[in-house]
Amino acid sequence: MTGSAWQGLAALAVFLGLLLLFAALGRRLPATFRPIPAFEALGRAIERAVEAGQRVHISLGTGSTVGQESAPAFAGLAALSSIARTTSMSDRPVVATTGDAAMAILARDTLRSAYQSVGAAERYEPTAGRLLAPTPFSYVAGLPLVLATEGVAVHMLIGSFGVEAALAADFGERENAFVIAGTDDVQSQALFFATAEYPLIGEEVFATGAYLEVGGLHTASLRTQDVLRWAIIALILGGTLLSTFGVLR
Amino acid sequence: MRVRLSALWAAVALAAGLFVLLGYFVQFKAIQDLRLTFLHWAVLLAGAALIVGLVNLVSVHWRKVGLLEEGWIYSAVLILALVITLGLGLFFGPDNAVALFIFSNFQLPVETSLMALLAVSLVVAGFRLVSRRRDLYTLIFLATALFVMVGTAPWPLPGLGTFEVVVRDLRAWISQVWAAGGARGILLGVALGATATGLRVLLGTERPYGG
Repeated sequence: MTGSAWQGLAALAVFLGLLLLFAALGRRLPATFRPIPAFEALGRAIERAVEAGQRVHISLGTGSTVGQESAPAFAGLAALSSIARTTSMSDRPVVATTGDAAMAILARDTLRSAYQSVGAAERYEPTAGRLLAPTPFSYVAGLPLVLATEGVAVHMLIGSFGVEAALAADFGERENAFVIAGTDDVQSQALFFATAEYPLIGEEVFATGAYLEVGGLHTASLRTQDVLRWAIIALILGGTLLSTFGVLR
Repeated sequence: MRVRLSALWAAVALAAGLFVLLGYFVQFKAIQDLRLTFLHWAVLLAGAALIVGLVNLVSVHWRKVGLLEEGWIYSAVLILALVITLGLGLFFGPDNAVALFIFSNFQLPVETSLMALLAVSLVVAGFRLVSRRRDLYTLIFLATALFVMVGTAPWPLPGLGTFEVVVRDLRAWISQVWAAGGARGILLGVALGATATGLRVLLGTERPYGG
């Protein structure tokens, strides 16, 4: 094994160790997260949608399941699971769309598991998790029809997006839906900032599970991320100072 | 039985994930080969999933047409187009002249039009942003976007040599120092978030594959 491989494994071990530690501490050391307006407003928007008999739509993006772009879509699946359970008694259950066929299968499995877990297996519809189209722009071209004809009041975009992100969010705004959008791509985040009512900036997209109270490990992983982020900031600042004073070359 | 099956899926996912992850760090040939085999399987499965996805796509739109739901006509057009292009592709291959004609004269122009629509949408979104979210971040965002755009565009007026140079240098400083620094910070956070998501799937607490 090379030196960088050992470093990578060590970093992963530290990450895993902290994750398990915070998961074990759990309720004994409750976490307090800063309020994110998007998630606070999301809860109210979902309540309004359920009361009005309207639908929540979750877009899992256009990225592939194979590769690093799947990570934000997995965060979207966690949100899908939580929202499906919350809205299981609604007249119009949640719909998830994606531009990747494998992700559509995962969305259907997530929906099925979520409904089963709250004893509402009959609410599951195989068409509620769909492949909208297999390319980014054809996916976006299919979105207006879903938003306009299926009574969507909450348009949640959590997944991997490219430049089509702006149109995906804008179509929701045109339908006067509540639009919350987050992705891992920096440029697409800038597009969401301009087009979505509630954009998720930076790694906020990965905090979705913790804020929607999906499970203890989501909270633990957010705490781990916070600790490691401060550690990285300290390392960068320390390295800069040591380099400035000529200790590191 | 259901519980046992879900535990089996979790074990399979965990084992496959661990081998792929180990393959990035450990240089043993057996693990490397196993990692590559799993990745090839994943690509193959993703291809097979496309067929399932297409069946799902057709069933969604077929139902809309059958029930004459709002917008059923679009669904009918989609099914018709799918059948025609799929048939052409299957019988004559994806590179035949008609399939290429359809791609070049239907899909390509539509996607290019959407790209053009993107520019208009962003301008409208910029104006909407000013009226909806009047805070410091919005102001900085819009001012920076406008300044970088002006600094990148061809200079319309001749005879402003020094001023033009100052604007271009300032643009480069903003995009290469401030924007790049901010983007790296965001990427570090995204990497931490992606690692946490991957570990949760590996630990089997997050099971998007059912159970």
